[in-house]
Amino acid sequence: MRIHINGIGVVGGFGSGVKALLTCLEMGLPPLKVHDTGYGPAFLADTSPLEAFVRKKSLRRIDHFSQMAILGAHLALQDGGMPSMAAKRTGLIICSGYGASRTTFSFLDSVINDGDACASPTSFSNSVHNAAAGHLSILLKLGGPSLTVSQFEMSVPSALLSARQWLQEGRVDHVLFGAVDEYCDVVGYCWRSFFGEDDHCVMSPLSQDRESAIPGEGSVFFLLSKEKADTSKYGSVVDVRMGRLDGASVLSSEQTTFILGADGHKGCDRLYADFMPPGAESACYSPLYGSLPIGPAFDMAIAALCIREEKMFASPESVADQGKYNIIRKALPLTPGSITCLKVAKDYEFGIITVTTG
Amino acid sequence: MNLNEELKKIIVKDLFLEDITWDQIEDDAPLFGEGLGLDSLDAVELVVIVQKHFNVEIKDMDEGRVAFQSINSLASFIRERQRS
Amino acid sequence: MNRSAPAAITGIGCLSAAGMSLKENMVSLFAGKRCAAPPERFTSSHPLHYPVFEILKDPSPGNNPENKDILRTCRLGLSAVNEALLDAGLGPEDLTRLRVGVCMGTTVGSTMTDEEFYRNFRGGMRPGMTMIERFLKSNPASVIAREFNLKGPCQTVVNACSSGTDAIGIGASWIRSGMCDMVIAGGADELCRVTYNGFISLMITDDSPCRPFDRDRKGLNLGEGAGILILESDRILRDREKPARAFVLGYGSACDGYHLTAPSPEGKGLKNALTDALLESGKTAGDIAFINAHGTATRDNDRTEAMVLAEMLPDVPFFSTKGYTGHALGAAGAIEAAFTVACLESGMIPSNAGFASLDPELGVSPVYENTRISRNVAVSDSLAFGGHNAALVLGLERV
Repeated sequence: MRIHINGIGVVGGFGSGVKALLTCLEMGLPPLKVHDTGYGPAFLADTSPLEAFVRKKSLRRIDHFSQMAILGAHLALQDGGMPSMAAKRTGLIICSGYGASRTTFSFLDSVINDGDACASPTSFSNSVHNAAAGHLSILLKLGGPSLTVSQFEMSVPSALLSARQWLQEGRVDHVLFGAVDEYCDVVGYCWRSFFGEDDHCVMSPLSQDRESAIPGEGSVFFLLSKEKADTSKYGSVVDVRMGRLDGASVLSSEQTTFILGADGHKGCDRLYADFMPPGAESACYSPLYGSLPIGPAFDMAIAALCIREEKMFASPESVADQGKYNIIRKALPLTPGSITCLKVAKDYEFGIITVTTG
Repeated sequence: MNLNEELKKIIVKDLFLEDITWDQIEDDAPLFGEGLGLDSLDAVELVVIVQKHFNVEIKDMDEGRVAFQSINSLASFIRERQRS
Repeated sequence: MNRSAPAAITGIGCLSAAGMSLKENMVSLFAGKRCAAPPERFTSSHPLHYPVFEILKDPSPGNNPENKDILRTCRLGLSAVNEALLDAGLGPEDLTRLRVGVCMGTTVGSTMTDEEFYRNFRGGMRPGMTMIERFLKSNPASVIAREFNLKGPCQTVVNACSSGTDAIGIGASWIRSGMCDMVIAGGADELCRVTYNGFISLMITDDSPCRPFDRDRKGLNLGEGAGILILESDRILRDREKPARAFVLGYGSACDGYHLTAPSPEGKGLKNALTDALLESGKTAGDIAFINAHGTATRDNDRTEAMVLAEMLPDVPFFSTKGYTGHALGAAGAIEAAFTVACLESGMIPSNAGFASLDPELGVSPVYENTRISRNVAVSDSLAFGGHNAALVLGLERV
């Protein structure tokens, strides 16, 4: 079954909106703002454009994580031309690798600072994983099913399976599908502990000899529907799979180009070679949005943009490759109109999302 | 700084009231419903705020309902509890 | 909504403060046995002690070397999975040759809650990564997939208090769509200081054993545990010549769009979820033997839920089992689904522990003594933070 992509909203270190992402893709540059967090560089997202969609008063008590979600969702709806969608026939799915981690820790701050009796109920409520979905359903007056998924690097393909399920079963006509992850100091500290203190500012995914991941944050939202909107040229999702590689190959290079979700963690990056059909044309765009569990959502958005623009953008120069992969280094016309996004995590866990024209 | 002023400043800051400054809050205006428009989640946050800043416990929402009617009623509730 | 095919349930595992197996749990329920007490595994500086429903035994880690150091939530989950697989007559070799998916609900299981680590981090003491590594290895669905070397889809549902119900509904849909031969579906959650302090801060906890639907109810008690259903496709059921214990006949899910922590006073989302679940199952109110209600004993939840049940399923007996298990958050819906099947099988429902007096505002009472039932279909529903609502229709027969 085809899941039509009728709108896209993106928020990340590169800015917000499809135009900002497109600019990055065309220029091949990493995000302009690299924040020095005190734990090394990170690509942080600015949610101030949210004021164009939602009154500041309504954003009271809504944390950065939920604000990124709300901004991404509004951008997707705007991009899709604000279609009329019956509240009950629109599902909401949000996935996240780490959840609202800043708020989780600010709840602990309230307990550590002032004692158990001064634990903040607002922080607690917002730290619950499905708070973003709650806020969105209130703001958008949604009444259909709602699901929040947390599966680390496999959050996006896992949650997309449920989106497909809902549309296939006729449970809903549309799914507002989003992925959100935020940076926090604990994440920065952990990265330094795990990966060392090399304060580079450019990622080199697929490099075999160095850790080059830079933490990112942001949100990606899609308006997914059973029917294709007249104005949409993003194509549709035709395949979603996840599992663990066990000998037999799961990919064929027939009729498809690949986007690799390698994001500078050398332990996982080196596993991609075991999946890739020899000589398959592939690209990698993670230097444009950073390393975060919901990376596959950015890849899916980029795939949809490639379909719309009818070309595969050149991978950023910093993508390492070292001759093992057939990395696309300059923009190519997109034939065939099929892109497979592959994400590999440790222990050969994989997630596959294929987007095609039509 | 008198208690009313202190309470107003704390409420604006700790409840993230973006569209109002402390000096715009009237002493007698209802805090919930119409007035400031606070809701049930603000009410429980206010209980924590009162505990944290004034070391006064509000045992349940029956007590809270009385105390939270306005800045004046909250100030007088705190003063009374701090005396005993 | 299309009428959908039922998903067979062939094995069940369940642990809570009321018992370390489904059988033990049901004995406690029908004996009216409650064991709420102040928490033993952690301390709190609250002046009052709020009772919890704690599992005093420590469940074992997994056999897979990667599952040796996992969070307690995952160990609770694995324990219930082992019971369910035994019940279903499935060994590890059966699982590796089939497409088996895992869908688990949780709250604590997906949250970094280690206070000691965070205190040390804040204090500049540069804590080591042991706790973080444990957390990264402890995604509840991944742990199960890793333990049994499963290669199908994996999903951890974090829909707060309805996660367990949602996970079972989602697992059933994976079977119906042909994506999986089998799904291990349910939920797991452990007690911890974060949720203990969090719910107390919201002023929705009771400092005595909870009283679902009672006139004088003051709030919930937290609990912990796990519930697991093994769901199987008809084809595998036929190959194994195994009878199903019961069937997932319908699932509904809907949001209120009203408030982050309080349910919609009209119960809009719950009504929609129940309607969809019943529609999918092809059953009507007249077919339903009972409702295993969410019944947390908070003023708001029980008021909204009782109103909706009275309107949509009048004269259908209902009860909450949270008086026996506490509110096990992400595990609650799965534990309650397990109880629902067990009650259908035994033709009996337990009393709603903690209920003593009718609340005139609700106008309806839950079941207050063990009661015989004769129909073979029941409903289990859950209401969650964020205004999310979910419902399952479970039955002993396929149609």
